[in-house]
Amino acid sequence: MMNEQRREFIKKTALGVFAGLGVASGLVPAFSLEKTALPVWDEKPVPGKIRWGMVIDTRQCKEGCQQCVTACHHEHNVPAFKNRKEEIRWIWKNSYKNVFPTATNSAVSKEIQNRSFLSLCNHCADSPCTQICPTGATFKRWDGIVEIDYHRCVGCRFCIPACPYGSLSFNWQDPRTAIVDPVTAYPTREQGVVEKCNFCSDRLVKGLLPACVDACPEQAFTFGDMNDPVSDIRVVLESNVTMQRKPELGTKPSVFYII
Amino acid sequence: MEVMMKSSKFILMVAVAALSLFAVLNVFRNGEAETSQKPLPSVSAIDSTKCIAPASFMRANHMQVLHAWEKSVVREGDRVHIAANGSRFQKSLGTCLGCHNNRLFCFNCHSYANVKPKCWNCHLSPMETP
Repeated sequence: MMNEQRREFIKKTALGVFAGLGVASGLVPAFSLEKTALPVWDEKPVPGKIRWGMVIDTRQCKEGCQQCVTACHHEHNVPAFKNRKEEIRWIWKNSYKNVFPTATNSAVSKEIQNRSFLSLCNHCADSPCTQICPTGATFKRWDGIVEIDYHRCVGCRFCIPACPYGSLSFNWQDPRTAIVDPVTAYPTREQGVVEKCNFCSDRLVKGLLPACVDACPEQAFTFGDMNDPVSDIRVVLESNVTMQRKPELGTKPSVFYII
Repeated sequence: MEVMMKSSKFILMVAVAALSLFAVLNVFRNGEAETSQKPLPSVSAIDSTKCIAPASFMRANHMQVLHAWEKSVVREGDRVHIAANGSRFQKSLGTCLGCHNNRLFCFNCHSYANVKPKCWNCHLSPMETP
């Protein structure tokens, strides 16, 4: 009998709570989420058809300008940890010495030595990070982009020493605590995953250029499909002498520098 | 005596199971009423006015659907879901939540069933949206 009463009580309480929640939720207006729109490529992509690449004209890159870095980090909710050990970077400015440590030209001008060079993931054609990843979280996409599937990353950090360019950062703590001005259109990461530049695959699918390319006031970037013989990037690559970072390692980077 | 105790416990357990099933179904019915009464948001190019699959299927299999979507979008770049009736959807959490715009749509049931999916560790939770 006791149980019978208790049962009734629990039943009524539970229903009451749920009814209350339903009413409350009905009063809340519709919220703004990531917009749903069809991608520019309607069809399932053909692997290997596109290979995205980038040329950075370092002669145009202005000292002290951080617009590409700010735009990228804002767009992708990159946390701003001040501590060097916990710092998360997708794109950053670096010195000639650090970007091309194995370049053998001993007579480099003072101007070039002082110039800033952008460091970002090189989206290598033969990428060591994807080969070492034990879970397949870091993988080579159909369009040449080296992407991290944050759903699969277990935080083993093998990719960090595997990358010869130091392009990967690890989330030692919850990144949401350090995002200055969060955007709702792109997810964040969580504690315990590695992250890096994604060549703005989120923007490419909407038909936009990468955030850094769009943000640059000097048009120092050329971005495009390196498999397309009439693309802008092919024209720039064919009409300029360019450098890749550590080409002797055979990683075949997709990022080129005009010195 | 002991046998009686056992059988009464058994009856109690069955009753609790039935009650929880009833309560869960009631939550879903509540959600359905919400969505059918509200004018659904119109999204150009995408027909999101219908669900991608019958509600009964989605109740049981939404996690498999979301996992398959995540896999095909991230790994293969196949972002368009074509439903059985031919309507097209972008494979995105935003597509689901654009229609099921009750803030508690996920949480009501997940908190009841005490399941803690990790979606909102990275994706923007409906509870956090402005």
